[in-house]
Amino acid sequence: MASLFKDPAKLSAYRDRRFPGNQEEFEHALQTSTTVYVGNMSFYTTEEQVYELFSRAGEIKKIIMGLDKNSKTPCGFCFVLYYSREDTEDACKYISGTILDDRPIRVDFDWGFQDGRQWGRGRSGGQVRDEYRTDYDPGRGGYGKLVQKELEVQRQLVDYGAGSLGSFPPVIPHSYGRHGGGHGHGHGHGGSHRHGRDYHRKRYRDDDRHHPHESSKRTSDHESRRNADPDSRPEKNPRFRESGDSDDDEEDDRKRRA
Amino acid sequence: MSSWRNLLLRIGDKTPEYGAATDFKDHIETCFGAIRRELDHSQTEILEFLLACAEQLPHKIPLYGTLIGLINLENEDFVKKLLDKIHTKFQDALNSGDCNGVRILMRLMTVLMCSKVLQLSSLVGIFDTFLSSAATIVDEEKGNPLWQPCADFYITCILSCLPWGGAELVEQVPEEIDRLMVSVEAYLSIRRRDSDTGLFFFEKDDGNERGSGDKDFVEDLWERIQALSSNGWKVESVPRPHLSFEAQLVAGKSHEFGTVSCPNIPSPPSVPSGISNGKQKHEAELKYPQRIHRLNIFPPSKTEDLQPIDRYVMEEYLLDVLLFFNGCRKECASFMVGLPVPFRYEYLMAETIFSQLLMLPQPPFKPIYYTLVIIDLCKALPGAFPAVVAGAVRALFEKIADLDMECRTRLILWFSHHLSNFQFIWPWEEWAYVLDLPKWAPQRVFVQEVLEREVRLSYWDKVKQSVENAAGLEELLPPKGGPNLTLGADGADNNEHALSGELNNLVKGKAPVREIISWIDETVLPNNGLEVTLRVVVQTLLNIGSKSFTHLITVLERYGQVFAKVCPDQDKQVMLIAEVGLFWKSNTQMTAIAIDRMMGYRLVSNLAIVRWVFSLENIEQFHTSDRPWEVLRNAVSKTYNRISDLRKEILSLKRNVLSAEEAAKQAKEELDAAESKLTLVDGEPVLGENPARLNRLKSQAAKAKEEVVSLQESFEAKEALLVRAIEENEALFLMLYKSFSNVLAERLPEGSNARTLHELKSTEVDVMAVDPQEPSTMEVDNENQKPPNSQSNGGKKSNAYNVGEKEQWCITTLGYVKAFSRQYAAEIWPHIEKLDAEVLTEEAPPLFRSAVYSGLRRPINEA
Repeated sequence: MASLFKDPAKLSAYRDRRFPGNQEEFEHALQTSTTVYVGNMSFYTTEEQVYELFSRAGEIKKIIMGLDKNSKTPCGFCFVLYYSREDTEDACKYISGTILDDRPIRVDFDWGFQDGRQWGRGRSGGQVRDEYRTDYDPGRGGYGKLVQKELEVQRQLVDYGAGSLGSFPPVIPHSYGRHGGGHGHGHGHGGSHRHGRDYHRKRYRDDDRHHPHESSKRTSDHESRRNADPDSRPEKNPRFRESGDSDDDEEDDRKRRA
Repeated sequence: MSSWRNLLLRIGDKTPEYGAATDFKDHIETCFGAIRRELDHSQTEILEFLLACAEQLPHKIPLYGTLIGLINLENEDFVKKLLDKIHTKFQDALNSGDCNGVRILMRLMTVLMCSKVLQLSSLVGIFDTFLSSAATIVDEEKGNPLWQPCADFYITCILSCLPWGGAELVEQVPEEIDRLMVSVEAYLSIRRRDSDTGLFFFEKDDGNERGSGDKDFVEDLWERIQALSSNGWKVESVPRPHLSFEAQLVAGKSHEFGTVSCPNIPSPPSVPSGISNGKQKHEAELKYPQRIHRLNIFPPSKTEDLQPIDRYVMEEYLLDVLLFFNGCRKECASFMVGLPVPFRYEYLMAETIFSQLLMLPQPPFKPIYYTLVIIDLCKALPGAFPAVVAGAVRALFEKIADLDMECRTRLILWFSHHLSNFQFIWPWEEWAYVLDLPKWAPQRVFVQEVLEREVRLSYWDKVKQSVENAAGLEELLPPKGGPNLTLGADGADNNEHALSGELNNLVKGKAPVREIISWIDETVLPNNGLEVTLRVVVQTLLNIGSKSFTHLITVLERYGQVFAKVCPDQDKQVMLIAEVGLFWKSNTQMTAIAIDRMMGYRLVSNLAIVRWVFSLENIEQFHTSDRPWEVLRNAVSKTYNRISDLRKEILSLKRNVLSAEEAAKQAKEELDAAESKLTLVDGEPVLGENPARLNRLKSQAAKAKEEVVSLQESFEAKEALLVRAIEENEALFLMLYKSFSNVLAERLPEGSNARTLHELKSTEVDVMAVDPQEPSTMEVDNENQKPPNSQSNGGKKSNAYNVGEKEQWCITTLGYVKAFSRQYAAEIWPHIEKLDAEVLTEEAPPLFRSAVYSGLRRPINEA
């Protein structure tokens, strides 16, 4: 309606580098998509909170939480799928920039969810923006991952009395809700302000949940949860991972354009 | 953006484009200078953009009008083209029923008349066209009074031009204005007063739903215009920049404006009856909706220093900003707070926004838009607006018992969302007294539901913390919300636990669905009976899916067939829903979501949901909780969404069929042409083009034909689905109304002839011998402008709520009857014959019938 100040054809300055197509196709995908990307969420925000807020723009089809690819815990973004385009537009117009769980969240048109996009693209498993942050953000696991590692190294140096690496809690996601949602590197700050949160609502996602019609052959949720565990072990060799991981995290790009 | 564009766009604003200049005169001169330089080589762009600015920033129309007046002195031809364009747009807007377009272009024409661009007689000519069209519509003989909303719209358009050009008209053609005023008055005497009680924000409980002193929207505007006329046509809120340029402008050539014509309105139904009239009236009301229903929240002292017309003009400004800057947060907020008027208007702004948020039957935009606007205004005016919003909340809270149920729901959703954006800070201690009210007292229920929604948006402990300053209020918080596995709860029924464990293992062991089903068929059902089987299966699967929304969906997607196997018919589905309600009894959100998704996967029907909502356990909560209503709202709205999606698909398929047919026709013609062509082959003339091309054309034509057939088929399939959906809709509304009618017949006071809510309330009051007046706590203005009840301002608040439980139950339920009828009126009208025959009969409780009628905006005496 307000064509004076906003070009209605221009939906997003952000270009996802993992979009499999050219600029034109990307724009077409955004114009017709019924998916929104939600960013800058707290690690503690649940699907039900997202549901309550986003259903005020229209009937929701699905919510896909963004997960840390190592710990399988929420890492601060999600996709919300609507049934209608109009509702999708309204979610972008009316929810972006408002507060969810004490944080201003960002809502953008998304070109469409595909399996794999639920995982964080940062080296440490979460979002890239959480790699390099230097601020302390209790809603997103405390310090950025690099700073956390730095702190850990320092502590290790001081803490030689305790001796071995074994004194560090392994990176297992069961501490989610009590401790920082990220890697749980012994920094408990993140969770402390969230006591009483129903932290049993941990989310895991099995890859095949997008194919409902083959349901009978599918593993159960419980099963895949058990299977998920091996993935969530601490990384063995940080240097080894570096080459395989890219930096083109959407978060970072999104931030740049802001 | 080039500078002339910026200057046009920003004219009148405090922006860098205009430097230190704050005077409209300076702005217009600067802008004119820039435009004049560009006029020769960017004529088309300037014309388009100038018009777009005027249309989308209507509060600046006087500035644009003067600017066009100055351009007219330089380039008459440009202005002529502009007027032609306006003429085309205006006629298009009239034809298509684009009310905003008509209204705004008329204002622009009025202002152009002030700037000597448009001939006065042309404007008066349009007024006359509108007047005669309006008079014809309401004429019983010649017109069709059912379309009075259209006639009212025309009259409103005329009147709403007068603040912008009344002074000029009176000065130059006083006798024309007199004639106009007389004609409007004559129109007002013919038309019927619009007594749409169905759209009131508040339930009047003085027995007489609308006092004779009440005015409807047109009469109200008319009164404001009369006051304006007796005030010498002075309007503070409308800038008159053309006066500064009068000496120049008089030299301009006034152009003529071609005539316009109002579109014909449909003829009255061939067989007039209550029903067919009602349907057509409803159609007219949808097409020409009233723009604002004024909501008086604050005491008149906060806004009454304004002239009556200024209130109207301000509302126009604010509504237009809301309309055109939907989706542009920054501009919306800055235009809202920076309107070009010499007075403060926070209270009026709050009232206007709340009037939209709560508008019945529907606001122009989703309620969440107004939530956002209020948030942004609180940030833009941190010193002033939050307090005004808080005042509005307090005032509405005082009147909550009379507030329409739909408005109440919207207010709860808005308020909880608003608070979630401001750290959940609210002086809850002010409302701690609701704890002493009975659990059905509307204020108490309001607080409880706001807290429920806050918890959903946040989390339990956070919200508990936020009410700590209000002793005891945490009592109203919802339970902490976990799932509630109740297998074998009554005694040591290890059997159910064992079965549940087996099912769990099957699921964990990735057993295929058919294996689970045969396990149920062979082992569980024969030995345990249906009830146990259903409970074990449903609760176990729900428990597996209890961790999140996505877990729930996953379970429903994978094991949908298991649910369907155990609950194949409506009776079992009702049991299934009851089991969901039990499992999630301490989490209303998950209850609602689970039921909603089950309906989505067609595991339960909307009819089963309605039956569950009207089960005894839920009926008992009707007046104390939103829980059953939320489930019911979801079910009806999902049904509605399905049907409107189908309609949209059918519409687009129809278009596709047409274009495919066109393509097929073309392909065929091409083929025919090619076939009839003579080609020389080996020196001999042969019929038909070269074989390769011919073959290609042939296959193209065949393909195009196939395409048509396949589109036609899917079109027909969808049509069939629509027919089924409409039948389902009818069944839904029949059951819904039957259920309402039955429970109300059982519970409305026996032998009572109560025809109004007022009588209903006083039944209990008389018994209790309490003063039947409402508690005198209203700092608010009554909607009907009556002086407030005998007031003891400053006296102690009387917090007692003197409506008994049974009566409150009836009042709440009737409120929802009205709300559902109103919201889905367009879907209900097509089935009204059936409803009349089966539900809305003479035997139905009169209060129930009048709630339905008022929701449908159907006059009760025409039944």
